[in-house]
Amino acid sequence: MFAVHVEKLVKIYDNRRVLDGVNLDVPEGEFYALMGPNGSGKTTLASIIAAVKTQDSGIVEVYKNKPAQAKEFIGYVPQENFSSPKLSGGENLMYFANLLGYSRRQANQLVVEMLQNVGLSEEADKRVAKYSGGMRKRLEIATAIFPGIKVLILDEPTTGLDPTARRAFFNMIQEIMDKKTSIILITHIGSDAELASRVGLMDNGKMIAEGTPDELKRKHAVEDAITVETAMKSDSVVSVLKDYSINGKVTESEVGYKIYSRNGDKILADMVRSLDQAGQRVMRIEMARPTLEDVFFRLTERHLQEAIE
Amino acid sequence: MRQISAGYTKAIKELLREKAALFWTIAWPIIWVLIGSFSFTGSAPQGVIPYIKGSIAISMMVFALMIAGMSNLPASIAGDRANGLLAKLKSMPIKPYKDFLGRISAVITLSLLAAALVIVIGIAVGARFTGTGIEILQAIGFVFLVICASAGVGLIAGTLIKNLQGAIMTGVGIAVITSAISGLFAPYEVLPVPLQVFSRVYPISSAQASIVHLLAGPDMVAYNPLTSGQITLTIALSFAFLFAGTVLYSRLGWKLD
Repeated sequence: MFAVHVEKLVKIYDNRRVLDGVNLDVPEGEFYALMGPNGSGKTTLASIIAAVKTQDSGIVEVYKNKPAQAKEFIGYVPQENFSSPKLSGGENLMYFANLLGYSRRQANQLVVEMLQNVGLSEEADKRVAKYSGGMRKRLEIATAIFPGIKVLILDEPTTGLDPTARRAFFNMIQEIMDKKTSIILITHIGSDAELASRVGLMDNGKMIAEGTPDELKRKHAVEDAITVETAMKSDSVVSVLKDYSINGKVTESEVGYKIYSRNGDKILADMVRSLDQAGQRVMRIEMARPTLEDVFFRLTERHLQEAIE
Repeated sequence: MRQISAGYTKAIKELLREKAALFWTIAWPIIWVLIGSFSFTGSAPQGVIPYIKGSIAISMMVFALMIAGMSNLPASIAGDRANGLLAKLKSMPIKPYKDFLGRISAVITLSLLAAALVIVIGIAVGARFTGTGIEILQAIGFVFLVICASAGVGLIAGTLIKNLQGAIMTGVGIAVITSAISGLFAPYEVLPVPLQVFSRVYPISSAQASIVHLLAGPDMVAYNPLTSGQITLTIALSFAFLFAGTVLYSRLGWKLD
């Protein structure tokens, strides 16, 4: 069953098609990442699914209802920090629990649970103005995971967080969500999108590719980058490496040589053996797996970071 | 009801924790009550001075109500829009009018608190009031009209001006300028004729004149604001402001497209 179904979605701002015939299906319980640069339309798409904005044409359904009729299933965390800095974490959550119509007793209980879920029990009485960026985002996630939420939409939740806080954030998301909750993550960070079970790449209002992270890398022929450092640079090293390079090219760098290859993990041991047989001592070997940013580059001829700038 | 009380609790806590809002709504009018009571009583006869002070306290109370409605309310709306809360609320199963009722209830609470404090300070520095029980009730009715008109202007500013600082400054600007040109800060007699007309039409200055007439005596007002025509105009325009503000806020305040 699809938690979210989007078909031929079009949204126009100032005569510009911000969304241009987008299709998307997110099954129940899936962790789906929408990745693309600023202006690609991903935030607009998320805000239409979240019933914040309306489309000009096309179909959007959340559990077979229009988003405006499915608000009780939707937990939306916009990109901006919306929690009140003048209230404490507990007071902010109580505000949302009351808005959702819980009785005083239920609300008190839920606030304690939610704070515990996002690891903020100790900071419940502290004003949000004194929270770190990561703590504030965790609090805002808590406002979107009240019981009954089936689709969690997170718009750039890790912006401004350091890598450790980002990892901790996703661990928390995986821990607190049950298997039936679908998550739609909006991001321009490839390593965040890698954590999703499926990724949709967006550019200029269109869905340009979709699949699991591995499928996307395979399908769009993105190779592993292998850097080899030998005791001495020589033609025989180049000659060995050529046989393993996908296009026969070997690039010399300051410290050694670089080649590109598919299935790098499978050829690595054989390559080291061949170099050894050719009398070359390998000092260091490093393989960088392709990223979703590389896939984006392959599809658009632009680096994601350049597109964002 | 829980949704209204949620909005009310949030808004009142935020207002009471915002030092700038407390200063402009409560401290600033009180400062003017103190300055006015000691500096502007001039060479008036001793018996009249307590009622002049009463009239000053009433004017400053009205100014406090104006600031609460015209500046604090749009600040609350624009602030929540700027930090993404309205987008979040729009994705939740709640109605804009419930949010509106919560916000406006908080502003009314702060307004009444400010009004009470200004009057208490006025009395402490020698302000005296006249008026029977009925007249006090009528004056409270005019206070309510000031709140309605100010909140209406505040809702319009908060809806149309998306920027937080812009909304606050516009609200303060409207409050200060209309107070100055409608005779809230200066005697009605010294205003040029067009501004005297404005003073009678503008529901807030008309309500202020009515409150002064009822509680400080008719001698403190240069015209009779309690004629049936004048009262009808004041009531109609106060509710018109509130109605216009409510409609605009409900239709456009949450519009994010």
